[in-house]
Amino acid sequence: MLESSNNMQDKIADIKNTYLKKIKQASSLKELDEHFLALFGKKGAVTKLPKEFSKLSKDQLQLVSPLFNGVKFELEKAISNKRLTIRETGYSLLERESLDLSSPVEIKKRQGALNPLTEFENHIVQVFSKLGFQQYDAPQIDTDINNFQVLNIPENHPARDLQDTFYIDSTNFGIEPGRILMRTHTSNSQIRIMTEYPAPVRFMNIGRCFRNESTDARHEHTFDQFELVYIDKGLSLANLLYLSEYFLKAVFGPEIKARLRPKYYPFVEPGAGVDGLCIFCSGKGCNICGGVGWLELGGAGMIHPNVLRAGGINPNEYSGIAWGCSPERMTMLKQGISDMRQLRNGDLRLFESLGSSVKV
Amino acid sequence: MKVSKDWLKELIDLDRPVDEVMDLLPKRTIGIKEVTKDFFELDMKGYNRADLLSLRGVAQEIAAITVSRVKGQGSSQEDFIWSKNKFETTPIGIEDLQLSPVQCVTRIEGLTVQASPANWVKKLHDSGIRSINNLVDITNLIMLEYGQPLHAFDAQAVKDHTINVRLARKGEVLTTLDDKRRVLTDADIVLSDDEKALDVAGIMGGKDTEIKPSTTTILLSASMFNPQHVRRTASRLNLHSEASRRFQHGLTMQGLLQAYSAAIKMYQAIGGKVTALSLKGDFQTVPINLILHYSKINNLIGTVLSKKEIESILGRLQFTVKTVDENTWQVSPPYFRLDCQQEEDIIEEIARLYGYEKIPKSPLPGSPPSKIDQSKFEFIHQLKKSLATVGLKEVQTYSFFSTQVLGSLGTDQRQLVKILNPISAETAYLRNALWPNLLEVVSFNLKHFKDVAIFEIGKVFNLQPGELPKESYFLSIALSNDTDNPTEELYQLIKKALEMLYIGFKVESREKQDYFHPARQQRIQSGKFSSGILAEVHPRVINKFGSDKRIAIIELELELK
Repeated sequence: MLESSNNMQDKIADIKNTYLKKIKQASSLKELDEHFLALFGKKGAVTKLPKEFSKLSKDQLQLVSPLFNGVKFELEKAISNKRLTIRETGYSLLERESLDLSSPVEIKKRQGALNPLTEFENHIVQVFSKLGFQQYDAPQIDTDINNFQVLNIPENHPARDLQDTFYIDSTNFGIEPGRILMRTHTSNSQIRIMTEYPAPVRFMNIGRCFRNESTDARHEHTFDQFELVYIDKGLSLANLLYLSEYFLKAVFGPEIKARLRPKYYPFVEPGAGVDGLCIFCSGKGCNICGGVGWLELGGAGMIHPNVLRAGGINPNEYSGIAWGCSPERMTMLKQGISDMRQLRNGDLRLFESLGSSVKV
Repeated sequence: MKVSKDWLKELIDLDRPVDEVMDLLPKRTIGIKEVTKDFFELDMKGYNRADLLSLRGVAQEIAAITVSRVKGQGSSQEDFIWSKNKFETTPIGIEDLQLSPVQCVTRIEGLTVQASPANWVKKLHDSGIRSINNLVDITNLIMLEYGQPLHAFDAQAVKDHTINVRLARKGEVLTTLDDKRRVLTDADIVLSDDEKALDVAGIMGGKDTEIKPSTTTILLSASMFNPQHVRRTASRLNLHSEASRRFQHGLTMQGLLQAYSAAIKMYQAIGGKVTALSLKGDFQTVPINLILHYSKINNLIGTVLSKKEIESILGRLQFTVKTVDENTWQVSPPYFRLDCQQEEDIIEEIARLYGYEKIPKSPLPGSPPSKIDQSKFEFIHQLKKSLATVGLKEVQTYSFFSTQVLGSLGTDQRQLVKILNPISAETAYLRNALWPNLLEVVSFNLKHFKDVAIFEIGKVFNLQPGELPKESYFLSIALSNDTDNPTEELYQLIKKALEMLYIGFKVESREKQDYFHPARQQRIQSGKFSSGILAEVHPRVINKFGSDKRIAIIELELELK
């Protein structure tokens, strides 16, 4: 038997009138939540009603359907408006609340922790301090000159493709666009170090760098770099290898070995990729090292003579070592973190998964 | 660069199986991205070795790092097709030698468009290039073997068989081979006849002049273009082709002439008849001579290589070496090594052929330089430690304001440092405060925890008229402790953390910010910090972040030298 459409219209009107009244009378968010559930929950009046529509003829349905949708919309709106009203009423009462900073509130007991990146960076600073390296801090917003040109990366150098750069809208401080950028590496410190401090120098830079790249588990537009800038007479790739092994042993333990491999970076010559014997398979070859037995852990090289010259240093008298690694990659390897984004997304469950490995 | 294994074997007498070379290449030359049974791919990303963008260049390199010989050194001057025969010429116009130093055009008649033979198709396929037809495939095969891109025009579509090289006119339009209508600028180089543009130089040919099934006569063009123009145009059109990569990395005159002669011979071998040939421009090159000091080599590598070993290595790499005196050579790199421009470049060549893995380890010479002021770093370090000790967890948030933050706080974006080319709206503005990001983090974590106590120390960015933006280190703390008044506990927390560092702390005047609780916001003052704020965030703001809990924050600017 078909239900009469009048009957259905009555039901809809009934729901509407009953609940609009209830909503109007509600005085707390909790009450509103109850009404919301009674209407839109699994067994709510509005949720259940359309099940009866199958009993209606097509013509009746054409009449009832828009009516029902209108009421549904009206009720939703009434609830959200009332929520706002109740909240705003609550907010107006905030004036009556007070702040008593002299009250001796007890501090709750909580397990504090440093970010695992900070943990790693503290460690590596300590490790290289023992060799006389000191920290240096360069700006994160810099000129194209300091970030690229003095580092032997002139405009239109193919290496610029590797470092997709965020440029700053500098028109409002009177500089033509395309000259000011977010630094793409900590090497923007090199020119400053060389002009501020006479050789020999041993510096380390840690800091945020930025690249205009889409993010995934292994890439971030915001990341840290660690870099050594070491200038002295008679430095060689043999010293670079020593530093690499010193670093890897301090981070991954005495069993690890370092290996150098040719690698091109425009600001060093010769350039070197720094590999460590795979910490997961001890060189046998596994999934993580792609079967080669070695993990790519850093990049380095002898500072390019053009870079030394730009810093006012005679490359025939001094040589330099630039040595860098990714604190994120090191931290991920050490802590078994598989997604780089976990280090900056603020999700505190990360600390739980690390357990006691992070100490204060 | 995908290197076809079969093709490579045609060019080199290898002293070992190809697969053993795979182990050696990363240790001596370059990383390998992928190996299959047909090809291996060199990891060229950002590399400066233009020579490795050709099969012959790769063969030379592998010959040097193994003890193998390259088969056939390519044609010499006398074998070039134009050295033995006289040809009619077609008109060539070069607007500016800075744009294009040389331009070659050859008219070849009597051709028939057909499918390429199977061995050509295999070579192209191994190299990641699709076979099109015999006439087009020759240009790609030559590009892969010699590294020199070529282009074949249907001669019928080129007015008077004239090829000009010039800058495009602003707004000039050309439909390229991929059927896209390209609007050009006056920084793009084009090849044109006297009426119209034919080809976006170094990047892609035009649709009108492409080889059609009916084509019987082609104009074969070889050029060199200013790499900066090619790079800019390729980026602007987002059209990075095999050809544009090679133009950008740099080409050589010798390579161009060898490739060009070899290509013409291939067309002749399939029945083509050369009826005109023009070479325009200056084809002379001056070889580079570099001074190499024996002592500098071992000093920079840290080895004790003998002169004989060094000369042998340079010989394998085809460098010409002349002794000047006891400690000095004059060295000339082979023409295809455009990357060798300085003494240090040659030293790297020696180091890598000797083997980086054989370099000994040597402790640091000299004594550490004198101490400089490190108090800034020590202070940040100590501050983080004491904040963690009082029970706070350190987070690191992005240096940007998310759209969520910007929208919820109604931040005036004109006050923020703006990124010209953001990835998305999420990276469009730099933060000028930390607490909004912490608010976002706390709201998120309140879905999983009842109590959230976090801090961050990091840089914020502020516009300064007429200067680079100001960068300052800020400390921010945020607390939501499941009570209706977290500000009081937060006050105790910061006081305790700073007491551990013997830093005083006092509360000053009441603040009046709409986004804070009307009765709970105070200016605060402390040694080592510029003034800051202690406040409960207004519940209306918190609600926009999807939470109805109370959250208090502290924001302080660190005063650092």
